[in-house]
Amino acid sequence: MSWRTIDRRTAAEQDLGPGLNDAVKEKIRSFFPRYPTKRAVLLPALHIAQDALGYISLRAMRELAELLELPPSAVLDVVTFYTHFWTHSRGRKTIVLCRSLTCELMGGGRVREGLEQRLGIGEHETTPDGQWSYMTEECLAACEHAPCLLINEKLHKGVQAEDLDRILVDPENDHLDMPRSTLFDAPAETKP
Amino acid sequence: MPKIIIDGHTIECRSGIPVLQAALEAGLAVPHYCYHPGLSVVASCRLCLMEMKMPNPKTGQMDWAPKLFPSCQTPVRDGLEVRFRSDPVRENQQHVMEYYLLNHPLDCPVCDKAGECYLQDYTEANGPATSRMVEDKTKNPKKDIGPHTLLYQDRCVLCSRCVRFCDEIAGTGELAVVGRGSRCEIDVLPGQPLENPLQGNVVDLCPVGALLDKGFLFKQRVWLLRSARSVSPADSRGQTIWIDYNEAGIHRIRPRYNEKINEWWISDEARFGWKHVHRPDRLRQPRIRQGVALQPARWEELPGLLRAPFAGVAACASPAGPGGGARLAQPPSLLGRGQGEGQGIGPLAAVLSPMLTCEEAWLLAKLARSLAPQATLVLGHVPVSGHDQTYPNGFTIKAEKCPNRRGVETILQHLGGPTASFQEFLAQAVEGRFRAAYVTGGYPDAWVTDPVAAALARIPFLVVHDLFPSALDGAAAVQIPGAAWTEREGTFMNCDGLLQPFERALPPLEGVKADGQFFYELLGQPGLFRAQTVRETMAAELPQFSEVFIPRDLPKRAH
Ligand code: SF4
Ligand code: FES
Ligand code: FES
Repeated sequence: MSWRTIDRRTAAEQDLGPGLNDAVKEKIRSFFPRYPTKRAVLLPALHIAQDALGYISLRAMRELAELLELPPSAVLDVVTFYTHFWTHSRGRKTIVLCRSLTCELMGGGRVREGLEQRLGIGEHETTPDGQWSYMTEECLAACEHAPCLLINEKLHKGVQAEDLDRILVDPENDHLDMPRSTLFDAPAETKP
Repeated sequence: MPKIIIDGHTIECRSGIPVLQAALEAGLAVPHYCYHPGLSVVASCRLCLMEMKMPNPKTGQMDWAPKLFPSCQTPVRDGLEVRFRSDPVRENQQHVMEYYLLNHPLDCPVCDKAGECYLQDYTEANGPATSRMVEDKTKNPKKDIGPHTLLYQDRCVLCSRCVRFCDEIAGTGELAVVGRGSRCEIDVLPGQPLENPLQGNVVDLCPVGALLDKGFLFKQRVWLLRSARSVSPADSRGQTIWIDYNEAGIHRIRPRYNEKINEWWISDEARFGWKHVHRPDRLRQPRIRQGVALQPARWEELPGLLRAPFAGVAACASPAGPGGGARLAQPPSLLGRGQGEGQGIGPLAAVLSPMLTCEEAWLLAKLARSLAPQATLVLGHVPVSGHDQTYPNGFTIKAEKCPNRRGVETILQHLGGPTASFQEFLAQAVEGRFRAAYVTGGYPDAWVTDPVAAALARIPFLVVHDLFPSALDGAAAVQIPGAAWTEREGTFMNCDGLLQPFERALPPLEGVKADGQFFYELLGQPGLFRAQTVRETMAAELPQFSEVFIPRDLPKRAH
């Protein structure tokens, strides 16, 4: 594909996405005393930013870099290392499907096909109504319940393709185990 | 100095270096990608692994340890015994090379790096050239990451040298490794491109053809290039460089290792500062004023044409007559009563540009003083831009944008007599103190400002020796085309007094004579100008010129 060149030198204003408001920045600053360096605050800062915006926008990366006195590329480096962080906007609910060995052996592949068919989207895409995004993940550390998937923070165990209809409307999907930590707020309702 | 044993041979090495560096310095060919002596050690490419002897916990005897160790991360210590020539080491190299080729396109025929690519070399030496993988390769698009640099992502071996360079040497950190595992890529944050003043170095650092210079892209195959050892005129620090050239001209400039100045790097000014050499408007012929216009002249006429008026001015006995005249045939007509006389300032001035080599400046100064013992010697215009910039590891880009101010100054100091700074010279010229002047330029950029042109226009017999047409054309009685530094040889003395020689890469432009050669002829010296011979005569008077500094060569297999 080296016949195609993508431009990384410029970023259009509309591609920068939303920025962090003062409250979020203040929250991040309140973490400074807990860590030996500002750089070390990057991970909690990313959680806070993603909870606020639903994802880590380019603008947020720049602002975080400024806040933590890092080169912006260092923020990008960390954001992209963890699949947990999204770099583009998400739907209201995020489905995380396990693609690792145990789940695959127990029929995870069929669940994936069923899901993609029902939602009509591929990985890291969002349904047109803004309700659903989905991605796969290496292992959800729940192999004893394979195949399994997460919707927001709710783990669905032993899922078969036939169960999808029921699972997608499960009210538990919106349940948050709060307080997750006294350090973090609840994620904001994300709008696509 | 510690002694270590590599493959049964005892070698003595510098202390504090990794085994890999010691092996390379001993001339061994150990493949490596991520290790670079100027950067931090990450030991991520796994190509340099070796076997090492350690005490066996069961027997207490020294034995080959069962696992391999990265030689780039193992410091030398006295008595250490390692080996590279063994099956486990060779097998590791083969496996790693096969792994690198899994996703690497085999597009060497269209890759700029071919011929100096360490994936090519190591595959030929160690690895299988064919892949057992039948699946599709990962194909990534190219990325435009900066004004000078393209990233061919699919060729990257993720050694992270470029990233470490931006973090540790430039301190700007534009590049990052993004993604994880086999999805890793090198990237910039969109909108924050790679554009620091040292950016060009990442292209040299890249062991494969992933980072390429846009200016050099698809221009030449590297095996068609020859390299000349040169010194950059871009600033007063004297960064040492290789000029890669062939009969078609210069194609690129690369850093030449220098332990005292620029180490493995050069600034972009030094790297890209050669385009003026090939500018189409360069002066190509001596011209002399006849009537109002400058008319072409032959080089052979010049010594006669110049010596006579200069000598006449110097003698300066007869009263002034009107200037001008056909073919400068009546030098005395140029003479006026030098107003500077009696104040110790001769009516003749020679302006020695800091773009001249020490040898050229010496010859020109000698020439002026041989014609007029009271000739004023002037240090030419010293271009300065901004402030010195120092980078985190100490690399410095000087604000003074010329290579030899210190060399010219040293010569002027030694010769004594009337000397002047360029500003003093201009002020005196405005007052009409000079009857004749020989002005050298040689700057890559336009340097003749209005005040300079106005002041020099007051000198009746003005000789301008420069690369390009300028506002002085109207005032010059004689215009002499100069040769660019790539077309000359000699030495520059850097801002710290280090004297460094450089060789000629190209012949002077057709119709142009190398400056040194011309001065040589003006002085009536027979034969060819040789910088070294001139330097030896200089050294007899001026000990500063007796020793030149030549940086040591890097080990052949190091990169
Ligand atoms: S682009 Fe070149 S220097 Fe940078 S990580 Fe890839 S192979 Fe190494
Ligand atoms: S393999 Fe699916 S949760 Fe571990
Ligand atoms: S691991 Fe030693 S050079 Fe890369």
